[in-house]
Amino acid sequence: METLDIKLPQMALLYGLCLLPWLLLWLIGLRLSRDIGVGILRMSIQLALVGIYLKTLFDLNNPWLNGLWILVMLIVADFSILRRAGLKVRYFVLATFIAIASSILLSTAYLMILVIQPAHFYDARYIVPLAGMILGNCLQANVIALERFYSALRKNENEYTTFLMLGATRWEAVRPYFREAVKAAINPTIASMATMGLVSLPGMMTGQILGGSEPWLAVKYQIAIMICIFTSSTLASIINLKLSLKIAFNAFDVFRDEVIEKKNIR
Amino acid sequence: MPPIIRFNQVSVTAHEKTLLANISFRLFAGEKAVLCGKSGSGKSSVLRTLLGLHPLKSGTVYFQENPLTPESVQSIRSCTAYIGQEPILGAENVREALLLPFQFKIHRGHQPTEAQLIEVLQRLQLPENILDQDSNRISGGEKQRIALARGMLLGKKLYLLDEVTSALDADSKQVVFDVFSDPQLTVLSVAHDPEWLERCDIIFELEAGRLTEVRRHGNT
Repeated sequence: METLDIKLPQMALLYGLCLLPWLLLWLIGLRLSRDIGVGILRMSIQLALVGIYLKTLFDLNNPWLNGLWILVMLIVADFSILRRAGLKVRYFVLATFIAIASSILLSTAYLMILVIQPAHFYDARYIVPLAGMILGNCLQANVIALERFYSALRKNENEYTTFLMLGATRWEAVRPYFREAVKAAINPTIASMATMGLVSLPGMMTGQILGGSEPWLAVKYQIAIMICIFTSSTLASIINLKLSLKIAFNAFDVFRDEVIEKKNIR
Repeated sequence: MPPIIRFNQVSVTAHEKTLLANISFRLFAGEKAVLCGKSGSGKSSVLRTLLGLHPLKSGTVYFQENPLTPESVQSIRSCTAYIGQEPILGAENVREALLLPFQFKIHRGHQPTEAQLIEVLQRLQLPENILDQDSNRISGGEKQRIALARGMLLGKKLYLLDEVTSALDADSKQVVFDVFSDPQLTVLSVAHDPEWLERCDIIFELEAGRLTEVRRHGNT
C-alpha cells in the first residue's frame, strides 16, 4: 500500500488551517502573529532542507556519508546538551561527546547488526532515522541529568562538604545527588513506556502505519526503538555524570564554580 | 612532641580577594585555641584552609607534620570534626544523622551500638527520644550537640568549632565545655564568647587575614 501524496494545492490548503487558531488568538487579544509566522516558516524551511538532505543520503547510501551525518548529529547534540544544562562547553565537550557517542553507537549497532539485520548494517533508510530518534531522546535525558545534578550540588554545597568532613570520598559525598539526577533523567522514558499506546499513539508507529506498514511490524519497531532509547539514555546519563565528576572538582574535592555558565546561575 | 597543626607562611586568596596573608602558627595535641577578630578577618578561612576547602596561594599546611595534599586531605578530614553555627545533619532523623558517617567506607564496620548512642547523648544532656526526631525540627543548639555527638562517636581528636557557643544556652554551654576539658582533645575554634575565651590556652588575633597577636594563658 502506497501512502497518498499531498499535492501542492492541498499543501496550501493545509497552511490555511492555521488561519483558524490565528484568528482565535487575535480575538482573545494575543498578538502572536510574528511568532506563529516565524515558527511555521522555520518548520517548513528546516524540514525542506532535511528532506533534500535525506533524499541525497538515501540515494547515495554511502557508509562514510551516513557516519558523517551521525557524527554531525552527535556534535550538535553535545553542544546543545551543555548549553541547556548551563555548563561551560570548553570543560565538558569531550566528556559529553564520549558519553553520548558510546551509548548511541552501542544501542544503534546492537539494533542494526543483531536485531534488524538489513543487507548493509549502514543502510541509511534505517540507521539515519533510528540513530536520530535515539539521540534526540538521549539528549533530553542528558540535559536533565547534568542540570539536576549540578543544581542540586550547588544548592546543597554545605551538605556535600559536611559529607566530606565525615570521611566520605568525593563519590560517596555526591552519590545522593547523582542517584536523584539519573532517576530524573530516565523517569520520562520509563513513564512513556508505561503509558505507550494508551495515552497517545507513538510518532514512529503512526508514521510507519501511514507509510503502509502492517500494524504488527510497526509495533515491533516501536518496541525496538523504545528499548534502545531507554538503554542509551541510561548509559549516556551515567557515563556523562561520572566523567563530569573528574572535571567539576579540584584535587581537594571542592566544586569548581568556574565550570558553570554564569548567566545560567539560578 | 610535634605539633598536630602547623601553618607555615600560608596565604589564601579567593576570587582575587586575600583571605589569609602569610599566616604561621602551631597547635599541639590537647591544646584549646580560639581565633578572634572582626568579621571578614579570616577566622573561618583558617578552619576551611586546614580542611582543604581553599586552595593555597603559598605556604604549607601540616597536619601531624604531613603536608596537606590531595592525597592526605581525606585522612585529615576523617580525623577532624568541623562544627559550624548551624550544622547540617544530612539525614531525615537524628538516629540516621548519627549513623550517617558509618555508611562511608572509611568508617564502615565501626557502627556504634544503641547503648553507645545513648551514652553519648546522655553525656551531652540530650534526651534519648531525640533519636527519632526529625532533623529539621530540632533547635540550632541541639543540632550542634548532635554534630558534636557524631564527632565523639567517630572518636575524633581534633575539633574545629565555628561560633558554636552562640546557639547554646548556659546549661548546654557547660556541657560542651566539659566535653572539651578532655586533655586528649584538641580544639581550634572561632568564638567571641568571653567565657569560652577564658577557657582556651591560646588566643590568636586576626586582622584582615593577618595574624596580629598570639596570647597564651595557662589556666587549663
